Parts: sequence; structure tokens; C-alpha cells
Amino acid sequence: MYELHKVDKKFPGVHALKQVDFSIGRGEIVGLIGENGAGKSTLMKVIYGAYQPDGGSITIDGKTVRFQNPRQAMDHGIGMVFQEQSLITNLTVMENIFLGFEKQFVKFGVVNWTAMADAARKQLAKVKLDIDPATVTAKLSFAQRQLVELAKVLTLEERIDGDLVILLDEPTSVLAKEEVELLFSLVRELTNRASFIFVSHRMDEVLELSDRIYVMKDGEVVDIVSRDNADIDAIQHKMVGRDVDKEYYREQRQKPYRDNESLLKFDGVSLGQRFQDISFDLHAGEVFCLVGTEGSGREAILRTIFGLETPTAGSVTIKGKPIARFDAQSSVALGVGYVPRERKVEGIVGGMNVFENMTLSQMRNYSSYGVLRIAEEKQLARDWIGQLSIKTPSEFKDCGGLSGGNQQKVVLAKWRSGGSDIMMLDHPTRGLDIGAKEDVYDMVREMSDAGVGIILVADTLEEAIGLSHTILVLKDGRAQQRFECAPGAKPTLYDLVHYMI
Amino acid sequence: MTFEHIKPHLPWMTLLALTAIVGIADTNFLLPANLISMSADIVPLFIMALGMTFAIYIGGIDLSAQSVANMTTVIATVALPTFGLGAAVICILAGLFLGAVSGFVTTRLLVPSFISTLAIGGVAFSTGQYLSGQRALYMDATLRDNSFGWMVGKSFGIPHELFIGGALVLIAIFIQNRTTFGRALKAVGAGEPAAVASGLNVRRIKILAFAISGALAAIAGLLFSVKLSGGSPTIANGFLLPAIVAVLVGGTPLTGGVGGVVNTLIGTLIVAVIRSSMLYFEVDATRQQMVFGIVLIIAIALTIDRSKLRIVK
Repeated sequence: MYELHKVDKKFPGVHALKQVDFSIGRGEIVGLIGENGAGKSTLMKVIYGAYQPDGGSITIDGKTVRFQNPRQAMDHGIGMVFQEQSLITNLTVMENIFLGFEKQFVKFGVVNWTAMADAARKQLAKVKLDIDPATVTAKLSFAQRQLVELAKVLTLEERIDGDLVILLDEPTSVLAKEEVELLFSLVRELTNRASFIFVSHRMDEVLELSDRIYVMKDGEVVDIVSRDNADIDAIQHKMVGRDVDKEYYREQRQKPYRDNESLLKFDGVSLGQRFQDISFDLHAGEVFCLVGTEGSGREAILRTIFGLETPTAGSVTIKGKPIARFDAQSSVALGVGYVPRERKVEGIVGGMNVFENMTLSQMRNYSSYGVLRIAEEKQLARDWIGQLSIKTPSEFKDCGGLSGGNQQKVVLAKWRSGGSDIMMLDHPTRGLDIGAKEDVYDMVREMSDAGVGIILVADTLEEAIGLSHTILVLKDGRAQQRFECAPGAKPTLYDLVHYMI
Repeated sequence: MTFEHIKPHLPWMTLLALTAIVGIADTNFLLPANLISMSADIVPLFIMALGMTFAIYIGGIDLSAQSVANMTTVIATVALPTFGLGAAVICILAGLFLGAVSGFVTTRLLVPSFISTLAIGGVAFSTGQYLSGQRALYMDATLRDNSFGWMVGKSFGIPHELFIGGALVLIAIFIQNRTTFGRALKAVGAGEPAAVASGLNVRRIKILAFAISGALAAIAGLLFSVKLSGGSPTIANGFLLPAIVAVLVGGTPLTGGVGGVVNTLIGTLIVAVIRSSMLYFEVDATRQQMVFGIVLIIAIALTIDRSKLRIVK
């Protein structure tokens, strides 16, 4: 009933959706899985009208439609339950449910709250949530809010003729196990009212709930499997599509690290509730990977090393020097480099050109008495543009105008040229296309060979396993398990996942 | 050719167009003598705008500039008999200090600069009132000429104010384009999170930017009081709006990171031409601020980088 035909979407530097065909029938639950960057969220945004496709068509019951915005999609029965919840927390439940559609309860400019509460109760009954509609949303648990969000989308049922398609974006990520079960049984019951598109990175959940599963990789639908003949391994294969290919992560280039040369030492370090009692040693040439779910403490550890957070307990030693004062300037001076996840926000300064960005962290080396030696800066930029084959017309090009992969190279050049030998890579391949990713992997190996210690928070588990010498699995701010990852003897995905969740 | 392409060139095009219009309407306007005296008159405002540029370039604003200038006219007048030329040093240090306090409040107590500088402006204004006893004070003519006569004389037919303004603008251009501090200012203005993640001491850079703004506002006040041979806690009122207009019309947006010192030079000249044209078109002095208010809104609407502002309140 709802179909996409050869839908295409391009962003500068990324071909996000390539000729995607997609269909969902009445009362069907369709799963959508893929790695980060596979195109799931772009596809969803096309479906609920936040993006307009560059090519292809969307049809509902055979009729071509075009949505300029989510509101128009809603008018055609497409609703979205957001992952980061879209409820306004200081409004009441009923106000949230009818946000933007209060008109039906208004007479002479006055809202009839009783009528709205009754209507809201009817919606809440659909999701079996027994709460007072006048409750302020902030007082609800996450699971309850999720249901309110679902109830809000279900108001479409009364508002429009025709079928409903509801998107659930990672709905289980903040839920406890029992809550997930409840949600699933509810969704199954609701299939008499609507069809569902279920997006999750938890394979088991997708398998459990969905009738059919779309597997995405690099902007394409690589497989469609029905639940009955779904095989986890096969899907996993298709999702990654290269786990046999050791070349991809440059595994053959992984050399043992120098275990007598410690660059960074964490000894029983804690930071409030964010992480507790973390100990590890980073050696020259080692790729040390922190693995865990969002909020497991990975980012907080990186920020601590970079001096942006001050630990509440334990000691941090960089190159034999115990750190007493935590600030970014001293960390940088000690040779710590940080390749942040938000490349465009924290990595490069848009509006500044390539050479200005490259020397930003090391202006001291390119100035005398505070006066810049600009000719040397330009020379440095030209050298590194050549060395990393950065695609830019010249060193004067505004970094904001470079593609993601080239921006990432500028960030890496910034730290490497300044002699940083403790590199923190936070999702260094996020949002990059395959070629650019491989360039980053090459650079990781090159840095390793040069004796740089790397702390990595990878975009995917496969990437973590493929690249690292050592993996530390974190859960709720605590270290769970350490894995040695010598080439040929790497742990599997399932070894890690077991400790993560 | 889209608007985005033309945008960087708007300031000088506006300046040329305005000059041409006024020049056609009043041929005397383009006489060198008139242009020179017009430029000399605008120098105190230009110096204040120059300081304001530093605050706006990092994405902040300095609403205390006018009050600091007011205060320094009083300080200069009061200190002149005792300290002579040293009065200038006192004035500049006072401006530098108040600017640094604004910067400290902004960066350490995380009070947005529009409110911290407004508050510090209140402090400066009161200080001026207290020191002056709420009266207009006058400088002794001989004392003034002995210590500060060099500021307002003429050489080769060119008023000395223009040399002062010229020297300051050259120094500011040098700081902006050639020093690590100038580069850091740009980074903070264009992408503060990246500046932090590059290990720059962003707090210190910001405090310094506000301090420079305060110091230049003080110099503006000093020059103004020498020109008028006196001081009063309200003498520079009416400076703030044109100073902000000069920066923004010049092409440094409120969001910072682009534009800079040269833009402010052009912006100030635009303000000067607008002012002269208002005289020519006989716009009442009381309505001048009205015109600047409208120009300010237009300038902001045209220059602001909306991608950096998600919500405007």
C-alpha cells in the first residue's frame, strides 16, 4: 500500500540512498536494519517527509504523492515516533497529544479542557496507558513517554481517511527488558490499526517483531528477508558485507605494539556517575578501543584524557607525568590530539581555510613573539595536502566547503603535524563514504607504525574489532572485559555484545 | 551570481553608492576639505567601533562602550590637573579593566555578554556620575594643550585625529591578520567548539577581546573629551548605536567569525556619510538615532549567519 520506487538521495559528498525500493502492506510490521551510516535514518526521513528525494517516486495505494514537510506526510497517514522523544516536557500529556491540533476543542478562543482530556484518554487507551491526561509530561517515565508519543501518532487514525504507517525509530534503546516486551505486544495488537516500520540496531528485536526485514548497507537495500527464513548470520553478513574481507580494516598491517613504552595510564579513575574505577595502559603503537553503548562512559573517558573533565578519583599519567590540572591546553602540550565525533562543529572551523585549521592547535610552533609566520604555515599545509592526498583546490580553501573525508584528513593532519602521539579518535569514520573510511583506516595503521598510541571509539563493532590491538568493553561506566585482538585471533561480535548489554 | 556572492562586497558598494548620491545632491560634499573634516569628526566614534569589532568578531557584543567612554571623559578631565599626560594612561587602564571584568563575567560566570557588558556599563556610568558630581566639567585650556594638544592639532592640513585613528586601525589590522591572538579570535568567532577542541585557551582570548574593546572605548572617550575640552557622564550618549551600526554595516555579523577591522573602517565611513546626508537633507538631530536604529536592523538582518542561530529570542 505504501511504496517507494527507486528513491535516490544525495548530500554533498555522500550518496545516502541509492535507488531504494521499499514497500509496506496493510497491518504489516517491517524491520529496517543496517549499520550506522547505512542510510536508515535518511530513508526514514524520506518516508515521513523531512527530506525530499532527489529521484524516484513515492506512492500510496498506487497514487503518487510528494511531501514537502512532515505535516503533509501526516495528512497522508505517515506518523513518526521519535527516538529522542519529541514531547515537550513542561506541557501536560493531553496538550502534547493534541499539540498543533487543539482547534477541535476550542470554542470562542477558549480550550475545552474536559473534552480534550476525554479525547486524550481515548488515545491513551489505545496504547493501554492508564494515566491522568492532565499529568505534566516531565513526571512520566521514559517508557510512558514513548507510549504517549505513540498515542499522539495514533490520533491520525481519527484525523485522516486511509491507512496509517507508523515509524518507530530505535524505540527500545531506553527501555528495560519487560518494557520492551510490553511495547512489542502492544505493537502487534495495533497492527489492526496501522502498519509499522521498526528501526533498530538490535538484531534480535528486529527479528522478533518484524514480518519482513529490509537490510541496508551503504545506502542500498541489500536484502529483504521474511521472518520465517531469517538467519542472523546471513543478515549480519549482508549488513557488514565484508567481514570475510580482512583487507578492509587493514588487518594484515596490524603490528604488535611496544608494550614497554607506556604513553598514557589510567589508574582506578572515576568521574562521578559517568564512569568508575577505570584502569588501562596505552602503549606506543597500540590501538586501544573503548566499546560500549551510548552513555556507557566512552566519551567521558575521552573528554577526561583531553582535559575537558576532571576525574573525581584515581590518577591519570601521561608519559610518566601525573596529571594534576585538567585542561585542554596542557593535554595538547603533552601531545594529546582529539579527533571529535562532531567533525563540523569541533573538528574544523568552518570559515577558516586549510592552513589556518591545520596550525590552530600549534600556533606556537608557527609564530615568534605572537606574530605568525604565515609562509611556513602555508608550506606545512601544502606538505600535508600532498601527504594525505587531501582533495582541495589549495591551502586557501575554506575547510567548511570540503567533503567530510577531506575535513577529517585536515583534522588528522592538524594533530599529526603538531607531533601529537596520543590520538583520540571519536567515531572517526562517521558519515564518511567507503573510500574515505578506508583512507582513515590506512592512516590509523600509519600512525600506529609511527609509534602513536590511539584511543578509538569506533562507529561499528566490526570497525572496533578490525582496527584494535586491545578492546575494553564498558557498560554503565564500568569496565566489563578486556580483549586482546591480535590479527587472526580477534574476538567476534557476539563475544563483545555479550558484555555490552 | 547569488546574494551570498555579493554579500561580502555590500559594504564598500553601499559606501560608494551613498557617497555618490550625497555627492550629486550636494556638490560641496565631495570637496576634500569637507571629506577630511567629516572623517576627523568621526574618529572618536570609529575608535569605539574598532573596539566593538573585537567583541562582535568573537560573537559577543560590548554594550558598555558608550558608558566607558562617558566615564573616561570625566576621568580625563578630573585627572588632567594632577597627572597631565598620565591621565591618558589612567583612562586606558580603567577601560581595559572594565572590559576584562565584562570578559570575566561572561566566560567564568557564563553571563551572556549583552547582559554582562550592560551591567558593567551601568557601573562605568555611575562611576562617571560620582566622579563628576553629576556636572559637566571643563578642562583648563593651557593644561589641555600642554598634555593633549598634539591630539587635536593639524599637520599639512590634516587633523591629528586622523593620524590617531589611522595608527590604531593599522595596529588592529596587524593584530587581526598577523598574530596568533588574531587567528585565535577568528577561530573563537567562527567555531568556538573547535577552538576549544584544539586546545586554545578560549576563556583568556575572550577576556582579552573584551578588554581591548574596553580600552578602545576609553581611548575614544579620551579623544572626545580633549576635542570638547571637558567631560560629563552623558557627553558620549548617542555613540553606542552608531558604533554598533558601523561594525555591522561594515559586514561583521553579530554571529562573529567574519569581517573584521577593515570592515569596521568602511562601516564607520558609511555612518559618517549617513550622518552628513542627514544634515544636508535637514533631518532633525533628534531623529538621527531613529535612522540608525532602522539601519541597524537592516544591517543585522542582512549580515547575520542564520545557520549559527537555531532559536532567536
